[in-house]
Parts: sequence; C-alpha cells; structure tokens
Amino acid sequence: MAYQFNNICVLVVEDNLPMLEITKSLLRTFGVGKIITAKNGREGLQKVKYYNPDIIIADWMMKPVDGISFTRYVRQDTQGINPYVPIILMTGFSEKRRVIQARDAGVTEFLVKPFNARDLYKRILQIIERPRQFVKSDNFFGPDRRRKKMYGFMGPYRRDDDSTDFDEPAPSKKKVSGKKQNHIDDIAMIDRK
Amino acid sequence: MSASIYKQPRRRKAEFITPPNVLKEKVGTGGLSEEILDKAQTLLENNAVDFRPLGDMYLESLENGIAYAKRAARNGDDHEALIATMLYPSMQLKAHGGMFHYPLITRIADKLIQFLEVIERPDLEVLEIVRAFHTSIRAILHGGIKGDAGRYGDELEKALVDACFRYFEKFPDNKTDLPN
Repeated sequence: MAYQFNNICVLVVEDNLPMLEITKSLLRTFGVGKIITAKNGREGLQKVKYYNPDIIIADWMMKPVDGISFTRYVRQDTQGINPYVPIILMTGFSEKRRVIQARDAGVTEFLVKPFNARDLYKRILQIIERPRQFVKSDNFFGPDRRRKKMYGFMGPYRRDDDSTDFDEPAPSKKKVSGKKQNHIDDIAMIDRK
Repeated sequence: MSASIYKQPRRRKAEFITPPNVLKEKVGTGGLSEEILDKAQTLLENNAVDFRPLGDMYLESLENGIAYAKRAARNGDDHEALIATMLYPSMQLKAHGGMFHYPLITRIADKLIQFLEVIERPDLEVLEIVRAFHTSIRAILHGGIKGDAGRYGDELEKALVDACFRYFEKFPDNKTDLPN
C-alpha cells in the first residue's frame, strides 16, 4: 500500500513562476490529486477560503502579503478557514532567528531552498505521521513549537503536567543536557544543506 | 538554588489542542516508493528553466540595494532596513541558484547572507564587500558556470569569506551578537 495523495488538495503560494511550476510538478509526481496555486499571500488567503486545502506550501518573500503574514492570517482568521491546516514555509533563509520567526508565526514545517524532492517529501511525511499538537495561549496560536521530546532532561519539572509530556527514552538515545537539547529543538525544523 | 523554585504556580495559561488527523485518514499508510521519489528528483534535476533572467533581476535588485545603502548610510537611516534591501535579493539568489543548476551561486550567496545577517551598520567597507559578492555572482551567472566549478569555486568562495573575516578583524564592533 502507498499513500493515496490523489485524495488531497495542496495549495502552493509562490510568486516565482518557475519555482511554482517545479513545486507543482513535484507534487504531481507524488500523485497529489488537486493542486491550487496563488501568486502571493493575499491571493492565497482567497484560495484557502474557497478550496479549504489539506496542506499549504508557501514561499516567505512575496508581495503584497508575504508567507509569514499569510500564516498569521490563516492561524488567526475566523472566517471559516481551518486554522489547523499544515503550512510548509519555503525560503532561502536558514539562520536560526529566521526559523524562530517562522515558528512563532505558526508555520508547521520549514523547507530551506534549494531543496530536493526528498526534502519536500520529508516535510509532508512529518505532517502526516507526526502532526504537531496546537497551542492556544494569550499571545500565540499555532503548532506546538517544541518538536522533540527532551529525553535527556535531568532537571526538576516546573509544571504539574510536565511528567506526562515526555516519552520513555529510546534505549540507544544518547543523553544530552537539557540546555543542549533545547538548542536541538530550536533547530529541528532546519534541514541545512 | 532551592528546588522550591520549581514548584511555583504556572505563569502562563496554554491550552493544548490535538486536531483530528484528517490528512492521515485521507492518504492512508505506506508512504511513497523510492521509484516515485527518484522520478521526482530526476524531474527536478532535468528542469530546463533558464535562471539568467531571474538571476539578473535579483542582481539588479542587489545592485540597487547597494546604491541605496551608499546614499542613505550617510544620513544615518535605519541600518536594518538598509541591510534588508541587500539581504532579500541575496536570499533569492541563494534560494533559486541551486534550484536552477547554479549551486555555486547558492553557496556564495549563502556566505553573503551570513555576512549581512551579522553586520550592524552598512558602512562603505561593507558595501565594497557586498559589491565583490555581486560581481562574483554575476560572473558565475553570465559565464554560465553551472555545477560547483571545482577548485575555482572553492577558491572564489574562500576569497570572499576571507574578505569578510578581514573586515571583522578590522572592525570588530560592527558585528551584531545574534541570540544563541
């Protein structure tokens, strides 16, 4: 059995036409049944409302509405948009502060350009097999920004439900300090070339 | 430090929501075969997009950014905004060079981004370095140098990175401390 991508709808928001075509071709080769496109975040929002896609792949740098603002609109919109829709942000930036910026806007996965077919597939795979829970707080709504379980965290827990937040460590997992693991969590979204 | 510090009440209220995994229900199990992934990769590698018009557009934008920064830096304009005018086209060159058969442009533009990301002020020496990157990328693009260009590519990259290091040796104060 293989994934039945013919059942899903993917929205690609990208202002660079050759890049848009390449992304579409890759998705078509993966077997995606319905691919919708938009040239910028503003157009993307209209398409989201109309088509209710299963996955959104958006570029960062676009005018008049960029990928970060677009993501915020999707997460905050109350006009019938599915705020949980997975968003993969494509960008040439790979610096940590940019990843954090994207993560704080509510992006689900970060895809650094240039990428290859497997890089794109891996992000889709993560979304399907390891979906993030969502966090709603006074100043944030979006996918949980903590990707990995802190297997190696040895310090005391601050919150009542902390102990339920961590799985048993895998036997082969190398122990790292809590501080170092936090750093790993922060950069987990990057697959640096 | 007393362990009681960890027993304090929660300061933030956060609700955790697990949305239904509709996507998983739709696509089922099994993943994609290696054959499909190979086919997709071949398609990507064989794309016939001519990167030159796109690359020229980004280079022109970078050129305008350098010129603007040169004029505006003297007036004490917002340094971050000035750097952004050079950073964004550099990011586009990095992102798309490698997508369209110019991986050396990606490598060199990446170094330029790393330089611009830590600069505090775009002074004239900075702009000279950015111009050197611009000239090099333009030469790669117009010379049709696809692939990594072997030793030539390594030497070019090293020369540009060395220029950045020399700058920071000379002006160590013009470097932002990025959060770890």
